[in-house]
Amino acid sequence: MRTVITWLLCSLAAAMPATAAELHAPKDIAAGTDFSITVNGDSHGTFYLIGPATAEKRSVENGSEISIPGTDIEKAGNYQAILCSDECVSTEFYVHAAEADRLSLLVHPSRVPVATTNAISAVAIALDRFHNIVFSHAQVDFSVNSNNGSSASHAQPTNRGIAWIRLTSAAKASSAKISAAVGDTTETRVVEQVASEACNLHIKSYWEANHLVVQTDPVRDCSGNNVPDGTVVSFTKTDRSGKTTVDAPIKKGIAKAEMPVVGNARISVASGVVLGNELNVGGAR
Amino acid sequence: MDTSFFRRPIPLTASILVALAIHGPLLMMELPLKTSYDANFHVFFASHYAQHWFNPWNEKWFAGFSQTTYPPLGHQWVAMFSYILGLPLACMLVYLIAILLLVVGVYRLSRLWVSERASSYAAFLTAFLGTITFLVYSAGQLSTVLSAPLYLLALPYFYDWSRSADGRALLKGVVLTLVAAAVHHVTLIFGSFMFALPVLWLACIDREEESSIGKVIGRGIVFAILAGIGVAVVLAPYWISLIKHPIEQVPIPHASRSNFLLNIDYAINYFFIPYGALLLAMPFVVWIGAASRRLRPLMLGFWVAFLFSLGGTTPVPKWLLGRAFEILTFERFTLLAALLALPIVGVLAEMLLDRYKAAAAVGLSAAAVATMAFAMGWITWSPYRPDSSLDVNPVINFMDRDGHDKYRYLTLGFGNSIPKISTYSHANSVDGEYNSARLLPEFTHYGTAQLTSAKFFGTAGMESLRAMLEHANKYGLKFIFVHDPYYIPLLNFAGWRQVEIFDSGQITVWAKDDVPPAHPIPSDAKPTALEGILWGTLPFGFSLLAILLAIFMRDRADASRNLVEFPAITQEPVFIPEAR
Amino acid sequence: MKWTLAIAIFAATIVLVIISWFQSGAIERRRISSADTPDEAVRLLLSRVKSHNWDAAYAQLANSSYVDKDNFIHTFSGDDGSLRTYASLENYDVWPLHSNGRLATVRTKLHYSTAVGPLDDVRDIQVEHEGDAWKVLWSTAALPKLAPQVIPVNYLRWDVINRGAADDWGVQNVDSPRVRIVSMNAVQRPDRIVIVGEIVNEDTVPAYVDVNATLLHADGSAITQENSFDKISHILLPKQVSPYRVDFPGYRLTQIKSVRMDAKSMLVPASADPVIEVTGQKLQKDALGKMVLSGDLVNESGAIVNIPHVLASYYDSNGKVIWVSDGYVDQALLPQTPVSFAVDLPDDIASQAHTYHVVVNSFVNQAS
Repeated sequence: MRTVITWLLCSLAAAMPATAAELHAPKDIAAGTDFSITVNGDSHGTFYLIGPATAEKRSVENGSEISIPGTDIEKAGNYQAILCSDECVSTEFYVHAAEADRLSLLVHPSRVPVATTNAISAVAIALDRFHNIVFSHAQVDFSVNSNNGSSASHAQPTNRGIAWIRLTSAAKASSAKISAAVGDTTETRVVEQVASEACNLHIKSYWEANHLVVQTDPVRDCSGNNVPDGTVVSFTKTDRSGKTTVDAPIKKGIAKAEMPVVGNARISVASGVVLGNELNVGGAR
Repeated sequence: MDTSFFRRPIPLTASILVALAIHGPLLMMELPLKTSYDANFHVFFASHYAQHWFNPWNEKWFAGFSQTTYPPLGHQWVAMFSYILGLPLACMLVYLIAILLLVVGVYRLSRLWVSERASSYAAFLTAFLGTITFLVYSAGQLSTVLSAPLYLLALPYFYDWSRSADGRALLKGVVLTLVAAAVHHVTLIFGSFMFALPVLWLACIDREEESSIGKVIGRGIVFAILAGIGVAVVLAPYWISLIKHPIEQVPIPHASRSNFLLNIDYAINYFFIPYGALLLAMPFVVWIGAASRRLRPLMLGFWVAFLFSLGGTTPVPKWLLGRAFEILTFERFTLLAALLALPIVGVLAEMLLDRYKAAAAVGLSAAAVATMAFAMGWITWSPYRPDSSLDVNPVINFMDRDGHDKYRYLTLGFGNSIPKISTYSHANSVDGEYNSARLLPEFTHYGTAQLTSAKFFGTAGMESLRAMLEHANKYGLKFIFVHDPYYIPLLNFAGWRQVEIFDSGQITVWAKDDVPPAHPIPSDAKPTALEGILWGTLPFGFSLLAILLAIFMRDRADASRNLVEFPAITQEPVFIPEAR
Repeated sequence: MKWTLAIAIFAATIVLVIISWFQSGAIERRRISSADTPDEAVRLLLSRVKSHNWDAAYAQLANSSYVDKDNFIHTFSGDDGSLRTYASLENYDVWPLHSNGRLATVRTKLHYSTAVGPLDDVRDIQVEHEGDAWKVLWSTAALPKLAPQVIPVNYLRWDVINRGAADDWGVQNVDSPRVRIVSMNAVQRPDRIVIVGEIVNEDTVPAYVDVNATLLHADGSAITQENSFDKISHILLPKQVSPYRVDFPGYRLTQIKSVRMDAKSMLVPASADPVIEVTGQKLQKDALGKMVLSGDLVNESGAIVNIPHVLASYYDSNGKVIWVSDGYVDQALLPQTPVSFAVDLPDDIASQAHTYHVVVNSFVNQAS
């Protein structure tokens, strides 16, 4: 609709004799700032302002300037001002983004196995307070802080409003806070650096009453991180009575299961696709 | 002329006012919407016509179904009245019109067979019939109740035409028959045998002196052919859909098909309540009917209707209907049987009043009131009463917010509340309450009705529900509303998760996260635009024509002259020139 | 004439009613109610159970003084929120095994309709001749009773806070868990194609998983799509493996070129409990001569598991998944109390099955 109105008004303006008043807008206008359009000639009539997210109409009285409040130009982009009395005149101007005031920070993934090269990407987009992308050059300060105390930072200039870095996950499982800052604005995201697959899965057994208790050593990945609690460890026991399986979640670092044993039994362990050692135990006590 | 109070006919206006006084307040209370099984179903159909008069394709049930599978006229009148009254009151108004027309229809039918006095008693007793109370307030059958009186009104014209070749009667009779068919075709089909054949027989008995039986039957056949052609045209989209998709689904059990001797609850529900005190009169109906040559066809028609109303208690319906026995429900035949019995009951009342006067009046009144009272009481006492206490507004609100209506939904344990939700929500369901329109294999391959009541159909019901849930992604079935915890284990194992609770846990909402938004399911059952236009114009147009004919082509004023009082014993052949 | 017709109509009506009465099986019911034979006695008992006429059914027991009535009722109606509490006896088959004139054994196959689908139960019932009729000798196992105790439970539970509707678009959501289909095999059965395999949650958080399979033509176009429905454990804890099975009734492998698999995963709140041990797993034949995988389930948690669901995957000698079968157990799992299970296995598959893996899925009624 706005396009149609613009087109009609422009056509109207173009059809008018060249003797009408002239409009002059400043060259450098930032989004959200007040400014004035200078009128050479009679400024009495109806004033139209058409922009990317605005279409405004108001009456203006005689004067040499037409004031435009900042609230009318919050969106960056091309604007057109039209003044119509007996005839219509127009001018175009560009509103650029204001100072970078906020950031959109996209971090992927939200969970990443430890010690994985270039596994984390962080993309920061500089925006002004009206959510316009700030295309002018800006410096984004990326910083990474792990809850184990380590930290690192890196400054990256924006390219057409966007700055990005890739990161390698730490060797120790922890939460990494990835921040990006522009001026006074800082955005933070959290990436969980989690243990990788279990490594050297090992079980041992002991008797408790008539049951054999089988439990793992603390389950760790190859970097020595504890595999998170809740991870399933599958115990399988085969003896004369048949096969017994238990999918036990790791609790406090170890997984444990009780099993009745009849005669000699072979017990194996696995977690996902990782296999552990096997135990051969004697008959029930 | 005897001027005794007990020997005078009851004016038809008085009978109509009595019917209005009894049923008007009950309907103003919108009782059928709260106590019956099907009233909300009729409102749902009407709501579709109110919004899409010329598009009978309804997306709200079964992932899309055609309303051309059900004659539209009753629903279209509800839709028309709804523009002024709103849907619930509009539906009640149509029920009321149906009941009042029944009083008039019974009177006019009775006048073919019996005296004016007996006819007036029959009309008076109509409002108290247990079967009307049962069908309106318990079953909620709008179409049967509205179609039957239209058909009754057509019968005297059929009689006139067959007997005396009255062209005006032919026109009015055929138009009324078409209107009755446009309300409910099943009533028409069975009415043809149970009502029209006895009337034709009567026309043969009463034929004019110069006329032969062959001519009378010939005229009857002409009427039938014209009515047949008319019904084929008026309901053309219905026949098209029936030919395209004959009813081949696995039969769904219905209690009205069972042997009532084996289940006392069924016997009460489908036999004692609908007939009430009429059962006491039945031996006399047979006795008096058999004794009179003129009443014999009526009595035989009653007997056939009565046997049908017994469902599986006799093998007759199964023998005569074959596979159709498993599709039909038989409670509607109690109405047909009662209507056929009423003229003879009028004669019985006449005899009783002549003999016992005030005592008979008290007895008959008490029997009539008791019949209706028990039928009304049964609405509360019945173990099969629908649960109308469930507040479905949370479901409607949930489906209409946050874009939830992009998906289809299903209710479980909601009884007969589905139409209520569908009427007022924009969202579409995979379930529905109309068995004949179901084409999805998840329904037709199993002997089950609504999925919301799946557990009551045992393994067939639960297998049907499983099949539907298995194809949730295909149908965009994301949300399931549960009012019965029985269904929760299946949802749990099938991957649905509880996401919301309404009414302190009365209703829980379950969602399956990986279901894509619903898209239209292609169907060859979708009516063409032309069918939609025919469906929106012909049935309603004929009903307007019938009204115009009733207003502008009045029946002859001397219609009641030379009536033969029944039971008049004559030695000479007696012919009735006019009997209405 | 007039009397004749009226009488004929009365008579015809009565005759028709009598015919229908015979057709409705009323005579058969009357015969069964006399319990003249062992199988009639069992049928009578089961018909009363079916109609929930517990008093009459209990009265028909020859050893009612030794049978606890509640225990007898619970045998059919279930307790502890088990699947039996969601079941109703729909039908039954009865056939005599042997009889010596005073004692007899009758085999019954009870068909239940349950909340998760049909369920069959085969029982051998002893019947005793007492007076003029046969009566049922009911043998019922004592209901397991737990000693009062405190079972410590360290709940492991994951909750999820997703991105809110009002959040800025740049605020990332938590990622879906990484899951992987580790094996897949298309099996031709007489009436269908069956896709079987296993899926693993490779992530460190629980995953909601669902497996979809699409049969494809040679040109890559889809023929039909089905999903694993309840033939999978939808909630997988980290590193947990679940069998899955997708059925395509009415299709043959010769009709298709390939199968496209699609594993969907989502982050959902979950709990690590209950832990269910599966003991004494054996492939053997049941009373009807069918091959079954049987064993016992032991609930190692402190809460009652109302409905256990057993999923078993079978491997050939190369470790390839060749079949997945499942079955619901109609008894609740009380803590530390073994409950037996058995899942069917086609005979031709059983001959190839080298080993197997059992996973137990569970329903715990939060309201109970």
